[in-house]
Amino acid sequence: MKDDSIRHPDAARAFLADRERARWHDSAIWWVRQKRDAQMAQLPEWETLRSMAEQIKAHTLSHLDEYLEAFERKAQENGVVVHWAKDADEHNRIVHGLLAERGVNKLVKSKSMLTEECGLNPYLEARGVEVIDTDLGERIVQLRHEAPSHIVMPAIHLKKQQIGELFERELGTEPGNADPTYLTHAARANLRGHFLSAGAGLTGVNFAIAETGGLVVCTNEGNADLGSALPPLHIACMGLEKLIPRLEHLGVFTRLLARSAIGSPTTTYTSHFNKPRPGGELHVVIVDNGRSEILGRADFYQSLRCIRCGACMNTCPVYRRSSGYSYSYIIPGPIGSTLGPSRDIRKHASMAFACTTCASCDNVCPVRIPLSGQLVAQRARAWQAGALPAGKRAAIGALGALARHPALFALAGKTLRKVVPILPERIAQNTPYSRPGRALPEMPAQSFREWWLQNRKKP
Amino acid sequence: MSRDDILARIRRHRPTASKLPDIHAPAFICYEDRFAQFATLIGNLGGHALTLAPGQTVREAVNAHWPEQGRVVDTRQAMLDEAATPHDWADVDIAIVPGQLAVAENAAVWVSQDALAYRSLYFLAQRLAMVVPQGALVDTMRDAYDRVEFAEHGFGSFISGSSRTADIEQSLVMGAHGAMAALVVFE
Amino acid sequence: MKIGLFVPCHVNELAPEVAIATLELLEGYGLTVDYPLAQTCCGQPQFNNGDVAGANRAAMRFADVFDGYDYIVSPGTSCVSHIGAHTPDALSGTRSRVYELVEFLQDVLKVEHLPKPVYFPHKVSLHQSCHGLRLRAHATPSERMLPWQSRLERILSLVDGVSVVHPPRRDECCGFGGSFCVDEPDVSVAMGEDRVDGHAATGAEFIVGAEPSCLMHMGGVIRAQGKPIRPLHIALLLTGRGGA
Repeated sequence: MKDDSIRHPDAARAFLADRERARWHDSAIWWVRQKRDAQMAQLPEWETLRSMAEQIKAHTLSHLDEYLEAFERKAQENGVVVHWAKDADEHNRIVHGLLAERGVNKLVKSKSMLTEECGLNPYLEARGVEVIDTDLGERIVQLRHEAPSHIVMPAIHLKKQQIGELFERELGTEPGNADPTYLTHAARANLRGHFLSAGAGLTGVNFAIAETGGLVVCTNEGNADLGSALPPLHIACMGLEKLIPRLEHLGVFTRLLARSAIGSPTTTYTSHFNKPRPGGELHVVIVDNGRSEILGRADFYQSLRCIRCGACMNTCPVYRRSSGYSYSYIIPGPIGSTLGPSRDIRKHASMAFACTTCASCDNVCPVRIPLSGQLVAQRARAWQAGALPAGKRAAIGALGALARHPALFALAGKTLRKVVPILPERIAQNTPYSRPGRALPEMPAQSFREWWLQNRKKP
Repeated sequence: MSRDDILARIRRHRPTASKLPDIHAPAFICYEDRFAQFATLIGNLGGHALTLAPGQTVREAVNAHWPEQGRVVDTRQAMLDEAATPHDWADVDIAIVPGQLAVAENAAVWVSQDALAYRSLYFLAQRLAMVVPQGALVDTMRDAYDRVEFAEHGFGSFISGSSRTADIEQSLVMGAHGAMAALVVFE
Repeated sequence: MKIGLFVPCHVNELAPEVAIATLELLEGYGLTVDYPLAQTCCGQPQFNNGDVAGANRAAMRFADVFDGYDYIVSPGTSCVSHIGAHTPDALSGTRSRVYELVEFLQDVLKVEHLPKPVYFPHKVSLHQSCHGLRLRAHATPSERMLPWQSRLERILSLVDGVSVVHPPRRDECCGFGGSFCVDEPDVSVAMGEDRVDGHAATGAEFIVGAEPSCLMHMGGVIRAQGKPIRPLHIALLLTGRGGA
């Protein structure tokens, strides 16, 4: 879980203090953006697919109650047990109840941002359940007692030497060996034991299909498959926005997901679960936790189209230079910066301002969520909620007042131009704009307005 | 009851209705040589694709590709020695399984088999060979979803190459949890 | 054709030479251009900070000031984008008459030559400002699968001797972002540095763009760090004021 009190600019400043490391973080993630571009370039129908994905999700959200009921009905026919959770607490209680009834004391989990959102791991651990995250990146951050810093690449903020040291301590790997292949295979051997001994497996859900009552889970590692194929109990947790109407619609989404997420034509495994495995149980927990409220907000419900690919993070120039830990909400980057403020604008207001409005995220989003527009709309909620710093609010107010009086507005501009050049250095270096590495603008002697009055004003 | 509360709130908050697109209307990419596309791609994804030579059997092709072998399970055999629990497949070295169709755009193979009760085999085996009829190679996932069929037990998966991860510094490593290597045999 | 020159606040105070060049360029095509003295702020800062009511008041004021002009032309892409995309629907008449300078030259005047021939034998790296790029289609964004086009490339084909290049990460943001540059000064400077380094890595002598605020921001980084490249607004280049 993350600390709600994080303010993005402060945390980003701390992250950027190690400029070389910040550069590495930026390059590592930009590399993924480039791979995504290369995949896009191979598909002439790319923009058509994005439009279709947008339309399918928009349609689904506008009939969501019907599709959820159809999904539930069909899933039950298939022998799947369907649970509904209004919030994080109910979700956690349902999962724990299923484990407790069966005496399960070890749970293998594959990646699920929903369970991060709900704080499931600490909830279960406090009740004596051993929880093993099995996605390699998630296992790494779990062993470090950290939250994921990216929704698709949870450990992207770490260098391999740090992971080598962690595995030496936790898994007994050779001292000083930081070779990614060696470390990955050490984790494989260790986690196999957990897969084979766990009493239950929990997975997220990428898509739930109303037509078939089936679930689709996409991974590259195969951890969701092992976790759901071995233990007798498979629990799948999904936000209620994961629905799509028909199986054929996967022909659109599976073409976009991995290309957008990691620049790969598909995930290794795109697994479809329609029924419990022979001799086993399959339970699905459908979670609201604020989503049905967002659905009712005209400016924000489009964020429920999200398929959690993380492409918006990879392209975001601010995310790449500040890392996931600079954001107060569990989901960072552009999509997190609308979902977090939707949940609590006061706690997460700084996220809405961690954006230059460059709008690159709008263009990479495979379901065409107008992310940059949503961030600016979240700022309007912040303004209304009084969540802007007082000084900033006053400055914006003053700008608006001055702008009603052209002569005063010109005088204010002139004052600025005349004062800045004579500021004592101590003050010039401490303006809100000042930073080492960036000089204040040069101040011309004359404004254009003054020039015009002197040179062009008709008598 | 949470279910009814949630559904009621969704009903109250329904956005303006919009239509589903016809996903079959636009033309999508067609590959001149689907096998070449498939084979090139899977080569970068921890796998290998081949077409059986005249008179060659699947087993011969697998043996030629992976000469060193531990326990081999071929689920295409009529008398499959089924496991008693899903855990019993843990020591399998090579699994040979039927794939119903393959997809050129992403080197994926659809696996879903009635005869195999415990799908853990696909993911526990150290190496996975998937055997696909030559005529069952389609261009895109749209075509694939028009043709997929689910086995009685309701599980199916598109598998593309080997299990992999790039979670450590974006270095691509084959063999995260599932198969360390994949082979697709077109017969 | 009655043309009102819209000079964004920061251009008026900090880059008057860009507005002068814009005016002279338009006049060079024989147009009569007026500068309505009542103009102030278009409302973008209010809008971007959540003060929607304040932004709408500014937009209404903008529409009044520029009422009666056939075209409203500006040397700033960002403020033009704001008027075009974020003002109340009641102002759609105003929206459709607002043009950034290069848009106006290409779409309204359809120019095929410059008023005075310009010879500029230098390598320039194009800075594709975000709002022009993604809100007004000034070029094909690198994120999209669309045919390549670039307004700046097209207009620079009218200049003799110039050689045009793009930086690596062709259209990444420079980190100015309006009030972002003071809300998030550390990220803003880091982005500015990276962007300037990218332009400089091409070996170009100039960063050429159509949005003065991005150029001002990068100029601050260049001056503070002594980088071997200079920002140059397209209007200055097109009027032979490259100053090389």
